[in-house]
Amino acid sequence: MADESSTIDDRGYIPRFADAPVGAVLGGVAAFLSSIGTIWIGLLMLLIVADVLGRNFFNAPITGVAEIAARSVVAIVFLQVSAAILQGRLTRADFLLRRIGRASPGAVNVLEIVFALCGATVLAVLLWASWPKTVEAWVTAEFFGVQGVFTIPTFPFRAITVVGCTVGALACLYRAGQSLRALRGAAE
Amino acid sequence: MTTLAIGFILIAVLVILVLMGMQIAWALLGAGFLGIWLIRDNLDLAFRMLELTAYSGIADYLFATIPLFVLMGLLVSVSNVGRDTFEVAEELLRRVLCGLGVATVAANTVFAAVTGVSIASAAVFTRVAVPEMTRHGYRPAFAAGTVAGSSVLGMLIPPSLLLIVYGVLAEVSIGGMFIAGVIPGIMLALGFVAMLMGLTLVAPGFVFTDPAAARERRTLRDIEPMPLRVMLSKLLPIVVLVFLVLGGLYSGFFTPTEAGGVGAFGALLVALARRSLDRKRLWHVMKQTGAISVSILLLLLAASFYSRMLSVAGLPNAIADLVRSGGFSPVGFMFLYAVIILLMGMILDSTSILLIMVPIAAPIAQSLGIDLIHFGIITVLAVEIGLLTPPFGISVFTVQNTLNDPDVSVEQVFAATLPFVLVMLAVLVIVALVPSTATALL
Amino acid sequence: AAQQTVTVNIGSSHPEANIWVYAMKNTFQPEVDRILAEGNEYKVNWVEAYGGTLYKFTDTREAVMDGIVDVGMVGTVWEGATMPLQNVTYFTPFATSDHKMIIDIFDELTAELPELRDSWTAQNMVHLSSLITDSYDIYATFPVTSLADLQNRKLNAPGTSANWLQQTGATPVDGALTTYYTNIQTGVTEGALSFASGILPTRVYEVAPQLTRVGIGSMYFGGIAANKDFFDGLPEPVQAAFMEAAKATSAAHGQYVEDLANRAITEMQVAGLTITELPDAEKAAWVQNLPNIIEPWLEQTGDAGKVVLKAYFDALRERGVTPLRNWDEGL
Ligand code: NA
Ligand code: NA
Repeated sequence: MADESSTIDDRGYIPRFADAPVGAVLGGVAAFLSSIGTIWIGLLMLLIVADVLGRNFFNAPITGVAEIAARSVVAIVFLQVSAAILQGRLTRADFLLRRIGRASPGAVNVLEIVFALCGATVLAVLLWASWPKTVEAWVTAEFFGVQGVFTIPTFPFRAITVVGCTVGALACLYRAGQSLRALRGAAE
Repeated sequence: MTTLAIGFILIAVLVILVLMGMQIAWALLGAGFLGIWLIRDNLDLAFRMLELTAYSGIADYLFATIPLFVLMGLLVSVSNVGRDTFEVAEELLRRVLCGLGVATVAANTVFAAVTGVSIASAAVFTRVAVPEMTRHGYRPAFAAGTVAGSSVLGMLIPPSLLLIVYGVLAEVSIGGMFIAGVIPGIMLALGFVAMLMGLTLVAPGFVFTDPAAARERRTLRDIEPMPLRVMLSKLLPIVVLVFLVLGGLYSGFFTPTEAGGVGAFGALLVALARRSLDRKRLWHVMKQTGAISVSILLLLLAASFYSRMLSVAGLPNAIADLVRSGGFSPVGFMFLYAVIILLMGMILDSTSILLIMVPIAAPIAQSLGIDLIHFGIITVLAVEIGLLTPPFGISVFTVQNTLNDPDVSVEQVFAATLPFVLVMLAVLVIVALVPSTATALL
Repeated sequence: AAQQTVTVNIGSSHPEANIWVYAMKNTFQPEVDRILAEGNEYKVNWVEAYGGTLYKFTDTREAVMDGIVDVGMVGTVWEGATMPLQNVTYFTPFATSDHKMIIDIFDELTAELPELRDSWTAQNMVHLSSLITDSYDIYATFPVTSLADLQNRKLNAPGTSANWLQQTGATPVDGALTTYYTNIQTGVTEGALSFASGILPTRVYEVAPQLTRVGIGSMYFGGIAANKDFFDGLPEPVQAAFMEAAKATSAAHGQYVEDLANRAITEMQVAGLTITELPDAEKAAWVQNLPNIIEPWLEQTGDAGKVVLKAYFDALRERGVTPLRNWDEGL
């Protein structure tokens, strides 16, 4: 098959436990979360097809597909984000960075540390802001949908955001640590 | 310092961070957070707005179609349906200048009738067209630029999310908008084709890795033609897929939003029927889908947060004052408007721009005697250009992400889409000056 | 003496021309200004964020509750989990098509019933003015002269309105005002349950030129509300000005919806809309055939729900309305 080079491989970002225990655990958790997100996409496809078939051939549409799909987008993002961070797949324009890298690899490492820390901060802020809403969703049994038509609790969705932010922030810190080590390694 | 001044400083901060190479999502979220905090002088509020945006900013059925269209593209690619289709296209268009580029534009035009979102076109065609064009001697970055550039057709040829959003905001007939989009959409497609052919003549080095070999291939006379039977059998799967999606859409079996799910499922069936998927390979494709989607969706989330910061800064009101301030002629107003949208397109996503601009501009346009449907097509054309302009060009990011080829960098794809931007600008000017291009079919 | 300036962030998820936003911009703001100008003591600096540039329609409650805006339009119709009491009208269809009466009733009930008032306070909001829809009817590609005409039809009926189609033989299909047009045009659905003032701006009548007056009724949609912390911190004269302006806003909202609905019907008829009246007997059969759709709502809302339902139906009858079905029976 064409372009095996561009495949996404767990082995690419999960180090062996003996080599880097923290990275291995973090990578394992991120891979697990992203697997759930992956399965979710497949289920979403099946749900939409089932709704289309049910509506057209059995006069039995599935209620709430639009709302479920909408909520799923957010869940999928936060389930996948930590793996994307560890794989270094977040979109960026790195042409200047590459030029700087040719002149001074150390400077790139410093920038990478700053960027990773910014990412960690953003996710930590989001975690901080999401926590009370998540607790509230649990306490008040908040749901979306319509009583008597369909209702789905929002707690799991809010919890996914919290978990995704936590692991994502740790993943950013881990990347910052890697760059720091590279910086020190170059200095020695 | 006025809130607006803070807003402009934060635009500069964003651009600098992105140019320095910071992950664009972090730059948008960070600058947005800082902006809300400073402008409203309320840290707590910045927290709450970030939470609100993260929880519901992209919670939309429409965005759920992005992973599904990505999946569809990967499945078409992994089952070699894309390769077969492009082999036939290469055979048929061998003598045409930039044949596969033209094929990509044509394919995008057909697919534009299925999807309402440009990102979907970009996601579907990257894995299908770019490797095939590369295999036939095109520069990978040029191929990627072609896919990104022609993806904008998805928003101009109906169905189109942007035309719907505009129709709702300006209170004009959505059906009318759809009809008005057809001629400019075709102009755009033809403009792209002409541009690709011209470019191949004038600057073959921009198009091919080895221009001499490409020219030789094109003029070669004694290649054994592909037998018709082989050609038809290679085309069958794509014809079935297109028939399924287009037919289902236009006979009312499903909506454009649902087309993503149905299309992905159809592509899955085709892949299974061709025995090109085992369980391992399917899982692999699914994982890729997730990895590609998250980057795109995270960018959309971050952009919508950043645009909310600009709204807090009072940018919409400032723009309203600017366009109201001035005794503009209808044409002068349209050009000022288009320039503002082009500038916003550099840093914001399409829907946010429409939300900010249309409520301000549509009443003024109407008072100047500009037809609102004509005005809508100009709006959508200008907004679409933003999909391709740096530093925030979501179609370019989608292609680069989906391709995930370390040899093709973001700025290379931006450079390769530049000719497409120029064609769009030309079409924008023509449509602005000749209203009948939009209103003739109404 | 110099006037003191109070900054008020006001906003909405919908544009200024929208029926639920129009009176905020065109009545509430100028009224507050006018009243305060009389006192010559305070003056409001309005910071406007209309049209969804700050938050989406799903977040109208949180936006006011969290102080993202100080005053905003809150669609309780989207808040079935946190503010279910306000949705009583959606679970008791075929009550009245008089939308001004619904505004009147809910302004009164929200002021008088602790259950309703406290449900705003519990969300850190102060209710200012009631918002409603005009009456829901069927806009479709076909006229409905009897219930049999609904058999095996697909109609856009999102959220609670899906309930109204139970036992009619029609299939409710999810959607929103923005999707009806393309849904009907491509045949995904054959019509929608909606109201004139919403159908006009989205031009759904172009593809669904048959209006059948069913009289499912006018619905309470939500309210204009102020953030409670913000409101409590306002000087007393400004608070009073808000409350007085809110009354004018309710009246203006009712009038705007009426004007728009009338204009909608005229304009749509010019554009080819045909109007059919569903016969009373069929209407009665429809509502009597509905299952007890208020049941899940009563389970969710408990005693408070019973109080609100009873008060709402009492208020209807006091105003001379005979609801087609006594949803409050047995309370
Ligand atoms: Na399209
Ligand atoms: Na751009």
